[in-house]
Amino acid sequence: MTTAKSDRRPPMAATRWAPARWRADPLDIGIVVVVLAVIVAGILTTRFFSLANARAILASSAWVGITAIGATVVMIAGSAVSLAVSQTATVAAMVFLETQQFGLPVAIILTLASGVVITALQGAVIGFWTANPIVLTIAAGFAIDGVAIWISGGTTVYPQVTAFNALNGTPLGLPLAVYVLIALTVLAELFLRRATAGRHMYLLGENPAAARAAGLPVGRVTVVAWAIFGACIALTGIFLAAFNTSANSSLGGTLSLDAIAAVLVGGTAIGGGKGSALRTLGGAVLISAISDLLLLRGFSTGIQLLVKGILVLMVVVAVHVRSTRSRR
Amino acid sequence: MSEEARAQVSVEGLTRSFAGVPAVQDVSFTVGAGEIHALCGHNGAGKSTVVKMLSGQLAPDSGQVIIDGRPAALGSRQVAQRLGVALVDQELSVVPALTVLDNLLLGDVRAPLVNRRRAATERCRQVLGDMGLDRLRPDQPLSELSIGERQLIEVARALSQNARLVILDEPTATLSDVETQHVFAAIRRVAAQGCSVIFVSHRLSEVLELCDTVTVLRDGRKVATTPSAELTVDGLIVQMLGEAPHRLTATRAAESQPGYELRIEHLRVPGRLEDFTLTAQAGRVYALAGQLGSGASDVLRALAGLHPQATGTVRLRERAVPFRSPVRAASAGVAFVSNDRKSEGLFLDKPISANLVATRLPSLARAGVLSSRREHQAARSLAELVGIPDRRLGESAAALSGGNQQRVFVGRCLLRGDVYALLLDEPTRGVDIGGRAAIHQLLRAAADAGLVVLFSSTELEELLELGDVIITMREARMVGQYDGGVDGTVLLRDMTHGAAAA
Repeated sequence: MTTAKSDRRPPMAATRWAPARWRADPLDIGIVVVVLAVIVAGILTTRFFSLANARAILASSAWVGITAIGATVVMIAGSAVSLAVSQTATVAAMVFLETQQFGLPVAIILTLASGVVITALQGAVIGFWTANPIVLTIAAGFAIDGVAIWISGGTTVYPQVTAFNALNGTPLGLPLAVYVLIALTVLAELFLRRATAGRHMYLLGENPAAARAAGLPVGRVTVVAWAIFGACIALTGIFLAAFNTSANSSLGGTLSLDAIAAVLVGGTAIGGGKGSALRTLGGAVLISAISDLLLLRGFSTGIQLLVKGILVLMVVVAVHVRSTRSRR
Repeated sequence: MSEEARAQVSVEGLTRSFAGVPAVQDVSFTVGAGEIHALCGHNGAGKSTVVKMLSGQLAPDSGQVIIDGRPAALGSRQVAQRLGVALVDQELSVVPALTVLDNLLLGDVRAPLVNRRRAATERCRQVLGDMGLDRLRPDQPLSELSIGERQLIEVARALSQNARLVILDEPTATLSDVETQHVFAAIRRVAAQGCSVIFVSHRLSEVLELCDTVTVLRDGRKVATTPSAELTVDGLIVQMLGEAPHRLTATRAAESQPGYELRIEHLRVPGRLEDFTLTAQAGRVYALAGQLGSGASDVLRALAGLHPQATGTVRLRERAVPFRSPVRAASAGVAFVSNDRKSEGLFLDKPISANLVATRLPSLARAGVLSSRREHQAARSLAELVGIPDRRLGESAAALSGGNQQRVFVGRCLLRGDVYALLLDEPTRGVDIGGRAAIHQLLRAAADAGLVVLFSSTELEELLELGDVIITMREARMVGQYDGGVDGTVLLRDMTHGAAAA
């Protein structure tokens, strides 16, 4: 980089040609190619371009998408990923079902609070004591799972009363979760772009050492990012509980990795400092659309997973190529 | 190798463009056998491009390099090395995991396939001794060495290759004055053996001290080649900048000036700093003069909260500074500019505007929500202050030259109502002469605006130019404190244990 410095032409000349030269962004090209491929394959597949199928795609991306928005915030803030998401969502679902007798609003508030507390605590350890997020969340995942099984006695939790039926409504033909996902995406995007804390997250993710030396509130910002993540996971837990009307310890399923996949396919950099909630929404919908397409064409679940894996890999490589190119 | 003092290496009409923009145009000069030839110029003048063409890393569009009377086809760095061109690059290219000996042999095309270890070890000891590195063992891993020592190993490697032409691209940027003297002695030794030397440096007094001839480049063209005996630092600057530059004259404020104080008492950092006490007044510039490891930089880092194990008391505006946490030190009004703007300073992939306002976001927000208008205003007024054109604000900070990056870094701490003490660790390291003057002006203006300014430096010129009060440091202790009227030789003696004093 130092050599580049002394190579510089006088700034006048440099600014005249540098922005004018168009450079193909490998990520954007890749996304366009994938989307075009999906559209072409969709045209060739009966029932893909139908209102009912569009609803199905959106509905199936909603649960993962809500969690993925939270995961985006944490990834931008430089904390990489959490591997304790499924367990946290399961606990949130159990809390939600167990608090049904207090009415829906109270149950929602208590569930959100539990998700925020569990996840923000992990964020505090990462932000203030610079713990490795992956190691910490693996440990936290086991601990949360353990506590859930211990308290539930390892059995399935059923609600005493059901106050949650409103959550399974489908206004205008779309599940409520889809509206929540869209609203959450807009809120998160505004927060990241315009809130002081959001902007601090980009700076912290980009260069943690610089953020620390500058006296930016590194610990606090990390905790806020994880608290937002916790609320998003709890929301997913609420929808899971309402849909399944019961919760056992395997309710969360593969949510942890599905959320990470959506964030990565959206093009948010795993190293932090770059990305957006809108991109993650796109990533979640794209994954759903491809799974749906494969399903309609009769491919097995195995093929669906394989394609998802290849997609994540492609985007991660494209993001990496882009960031190394922009450094030259 | 006993050669006549004739032209051994000559450069004829070298020209090179990048994407249609000429970087070097028609540059010619000759370097005789045994001559030490300096290549000087402002950032962007084309020095590094010339160096890259000479060392085979770039092919010229036209022109040629003639070595020993024959045009040399320098197709790659390896070819150049085989033709007798050795290069010490700006960036360290030593391998920390290998030993000192391995690093000295690394990349040496003459090295036999099977190392004769004993002979090599003997030779290595001699090379180390020449560099003033007797304290190092050949089998020591390089990772145990300081950055300065690693740089010396790199220089030693190039000088020990018996090259016809040795090119040193800013070899002293990270070295202390004592280490620099060792490098100079080694350069003079290889020159005396008939080797030609090209020396690139921003430190002009070094250039005049070491070199026989100076070629100055400006905007890719040669300005002049002059014997250094006929040059002064000011004359060189005129050649480089093309106009008489203003030299900063420190306005040394009076003691009795009213204002707050930064009061440091018994500051200690285990293993790095012993009992440092200083009272610094607002409106004056305090300079910490010390080499690497003298503790000068640790005073600043401790105050900024980056040495959590530091002890002592620090008061600013009669209030205690909680200096064991960077967040709390910052909220007490301390702003810190690290000596490493890349890894501990700027957010390189973010726009320049975002970098300028990075540390003042809360002051541009209402209820945690940023106002675009105030953000733009703040970025524009700071850009104007540090001299970066508005139209560049959207570019990423990585696109700026080193000097401009440093201006952004310093500017980030200015025009803030909540900063009372500005701490800078080597504020002009690796900065070209124009950027240096600009940064000095910024710091003087900050002091005039009523801030306590405290900086560390290893360069005498800078210390004398900018410091109102100079504190000398050596081996983790304060040695002396001078309030104006001090000679450079006194400072150097304090900093180096009398070793290099005149």
